[in-house]
Amino acid sequence: MTAKSPRVKTSGNEAEAGAIPSSLWSAFFEGSRRACARLITRVENEPGLVPVVRDALASRIGRAIRIGITGPPGVGKSTLTAALAQGLANGGRRVGVIAVDPSSPFTGGAFMGDRIRMDGLVGDKRIYIRSLASREGHGGLAPTTPYVADVIEGFGMDRILIETVGVGQAEIDVLRCADLVILVLQPGTGDAIQTMKAGIIEAADIIVVNKADQPGVDSVIQSLRFLFSLGGPLPIKGNPHAPQNTRVAPPILSTSALQAQGIEELVAEVEKQATSLIESGRHREMRRARLETEIRSAIQEYLWQSYEKLTAADETIRQKAGELVLSGESPYPFIRDLQGKATISLPPGR
Amino acid sequence: MNEYPIKVVVGKPGLDGHDRGAKVIARALVEAGMEVVYLGLRQTPESIVAAAVEEDADVIGLSVLSGAHMTQFRRVHELMEKEGIGGRLLTGGGIIPTKDQEALSKIGVGKLFGPGDEPQEIIDYIRTEVQARRTHEAM
Amino acid sequence: MAHKIQEPQHRTAPFRDAEFTTISGRPVELLYTEADLDGQKIEQYPGDYPYTRGVHPTMYRGKLWTMRLFAGMGNAAQTNERFKFLLSKGQTGLSTAFDNPTLYGWDSDDPISEGEVGKTGVAVDTMADMERLFQDIPLDKVSTSMTINAPAAWVFAMFLANAEKQGIGLEKLRGTIQNDILKEYIAQKEWIFPPEPHIRLITDMFAFCADHVPQWNSISISGYHIREAGATAAQELAFTLQDGFTYVEHAIEAGMDVDDFAPRLSFFFNSHLDFFEEIAKLRAARRIWARHMREKYGAKNPKSWLCRFHVQTAGCSLTAQQPEVNIVRTALEALAGVLGGCQSLHTNSMDEALALPSDKAAEIALRTQQVIAYESGVPNVADPLGGSYFVEKLTSEIEADAEKYFEQIEALGGMVKAIERGFPQQEITRAAYEYQRALSEKRKIMVGVNDFANEHEKLEIPILEIDEAVEPDQIAALKKIKESRDNLAVSRCLEELQKAARTKENLMPHLLDCARCYTSIGEVSHALIKVFGEYREQAFF
Repeated sequence: MTAKSPRVKTSGNEAEAGAIPSSLWSAFFEGSRRACARLITRVENEPGLVPVVRDALASRIGRAIRIGITGPPGVGKSTLTAALAQGLANGGRRVGVIAVDPSSPFTGGAFMGDRIRMDGLVGDKRIYIRSLASREGHGGLAPTTPYVADVIEGFGMDRILIETVGVGQAEIDVLRCADLVILVLQPGTGDAIQTMKAGIIEAADIIVVNKADQPGVDSVIQSLRFLFSLGGPLPIKGNPHAPQNTRVAPPILSTSALQAQGIEELVAEVEKQATSLIESGRHREMRRARLETEIRSAIQEYLWQSYEKLTAADETIRQKAGELVLSGESPYPFIRDLQGKATISLPPGR
Repeated sequence: MNEYPIKVVVGKPGLDGHDRGAKVIARALVEAGMEVVYLGLRQTPESIVAAAVEEDADVIGLSVLSGAHMTQFRRVHELMEKEGIGGRLLTGGGIIPTKDQEALSKIGVGKLFGPGDEPQEIIDYIRTEVQARRTHEAM
Repeated sequence: MAHKIQEPQHRTAPFRDAEFTTISGRPVELLYTEADLDGQKIEQYPGDYPYTRGVHPTMYRGKLWTMRLFAGMGNAAQTNERFKFLLSKGQTGLSTAFDNPTLYGWDSDDPISEGEVGKTGVAVDTMADMERLFQDIPLDKVSTSMTINAPAAWVFAMFLANAEKQGIGLEKLRGTIQNDILKEYIAQKEWIFPPEPHIRLITDMFAFCADHVPQWNSISISGYHIREAGATAAQELAFTLQDGFTYVEHAIEAGMDVDDFAPRLSFFFNSHLDFFEEIAKLRAARRIWARHMREKYGAKNPKSWLCRFHVQTAGCSLTAQQPEVNIVRTALEALAGVLGGCQSLHTNSMDEALALPSDKAAEIALRTQQVIAYESGVPNVADPLGGSYFVEKLTSEIEADAEKYFEQIEALGGMVKAIERGFPQQEITRAAYEYQRALSEKRKIMVGVNDFANEHEKLEIPILEIDEAVEPDQIAALKKIKESRDNLAVSRCLEELQKAARTKENLMPHLLDCARCYTSIGEVSHALIKVFGEYREQAFF
């Protein structure tokens, strides 16, 4: 299995990244929020630091449950995320919140407004909130999101909520770095369900119909039940969240995050599923699969970087592809040529 | 490390619903390539600084048209020092008499802008200041 | 059949390099002719349905507009002094500006009020402040306006309780309370509860005023703040009238007869710098309101059809640079308000972009109105621009734009739903940004700001400063009241209020009880939040 995204160059340019001063590490381990914030920025800006950060945090991560919160724009994801964070914290959890907003492909700037709805959480020492611009990530998350989650987990948070940009289509990324996925809908999104990106609905571990104080809740729930009664959407291969032939509808809860209704039930459901993930060994299996992906992807990246360094193939490929489009020739003579330029040799002793 | 996007936290402290300026400037900063965390209305100095710490913001931008600018800027500035982000830029705008701007400048608050000032002026100012502060912080 | 001038020379001659649009970005033609009227019949008489030419047959020959300057700063005593100053200079009505804590319904001693007490208006915590504010002012003779919305019902209750105490019958009181919560969600952002309970309080006030304070305008449906937030003229008009329709619908739903409350509805519009567009907007407002009230809501009393309004010149058009030039801007805007047929007028002071008005600046603002009223000759003729090809055409265009917005809002499920979805907010934010860009690109000019600016300018006018002692003094005074009043009565009144809030009972009598025993504004807010909940910002871009 190849990981398409989130993908960051976590190797190759390790040496180019500036070092992390030991003072920052000690402040981080002493629980300084400012240090945690700084470390997140470093990871965000210099993905080449990821290996160092993973080394330093290895013993502290792997136990938190990462919860993806996704759904179409305007369904109240931020408000729900805030309510859920508060609920989890009240149940004794330390909660990290990562709110991702889209970067403009034209200017690179990003407008991040999720904190408006998370107002009540600021200053709560049990909760850490961070807004992330998606930067070059195109799947609803920033490419560095999993590593930012690592830093936040390393800081001591044991429930990490990851709220996606909610552009309504490419929200698949969240499946690859979350242990649990909550899909948020609202009354009136019945039609949207039919056209929603394949993979999201069937991957949801919990479906929340938010804004339940508005009319039309029942009709959304009915649409969902109908969808699952047909045998459910087809499982997607390689998706660890896809139900294994069982095709049972995930729990569907209704909430009104603004009016704090249904939140207790949602918190209880999240904790129930979290416990079951851990006890059944599924959490370990997901972690294993992700580690495997990470290792493979790091090696691929390493090999590519080494190859590119020797051949400067990147630019040649770009040009050649353009020519091939015009000429209509097969790309394989070119590919064979490129392959011929590389031989793998291992250091002596292997 | 100066080329990374500039992160700005924008908020309106206190009781003042006039958010036209804050929104227009926030949008102009985004179009200038900055990452803007918009906190919205009715913020306290505490909530603004707490957010800026968590976001590792380069800049805190406050919009105050309520006449409470002396109280608000002074308090935010104090809290920034206390929370270890005193080296970051505190700027903003509103209806702030020159005399008060000068007083705030003396305690370390950055330039404050008023009605009629061009967004581009604010963008340039932020860029220059952040550049200098990042270089200083890296040393 | 009328037609355009053939082969006009002016169509081929080059234009200078400029953008020929209104301040709202509406393109305008070089020339308007009979052809632009498209056969539309020009209305003949003011005072006749649909009142495009004015609400009264004799207009300003019958009665000049009320000259009312928005005033309030520091504490009640200081504002009372300003009121008397303005009355002595020939002002004919009062208009009260409250400070931020009061506008949000918080006490001066609330931590969130810190630094804001008395800063942009007068601080009012209890009826004691109301007593001081209107001391020695004959409330049965001078009409009074109060700009307050979220806690309007309990501030109004303090005002009524004070009148009662002065021995003035409520039926004698004349004036207006703004009381328009929908535009708060859209533009001004001073709310306490979610929309539904706020609207219920508003309909309670409609009913109470109809029975007990019959000369009082129980609401002033306001476009002013919508415009200040960056809306275009058509947006201001459309969102304001749509807010008005929403209140009418709620009151009808609550069981009232439309003719019982509609005559007491009033409006409040902005007058910006684009002279003819503003006049056209005001004319269109009357026409649209009359038609909807009569045809859609079935009002039978002609008084229910009238769109009577207050006008304030545009604060956002004023500059901090060369503030004296603001006198000219305000004069033009005020003239547009008068030509648009306003019933009362506030003229901004030249120092508005710098601080609260000084005595001097406020006096010049008032004098500006007096020049229009007594020197310019403008009020001699009703709707002097009626029949102008341009103004008539513009009136119809703006009306059509507003109708388009009504349809869009209807499609979203009405104004409350549209606000929840951020529709008007987003339209306004976009317009504000567009205007800012036009300024940056110098497609629009602000004299002294993005063109004709003076280098090293020195401020040469006095600036009003609010004494820093106002806040601690106000807090101390409130503390004294809380200690000396009958606290048992206060908690009993608050309990009764909460009980009634859970039913459909009219809350005004309970709010009056609270006011009479000096319950503070914040105490009422907190008590009602327990029942109604608190609204949180939904920011839209």
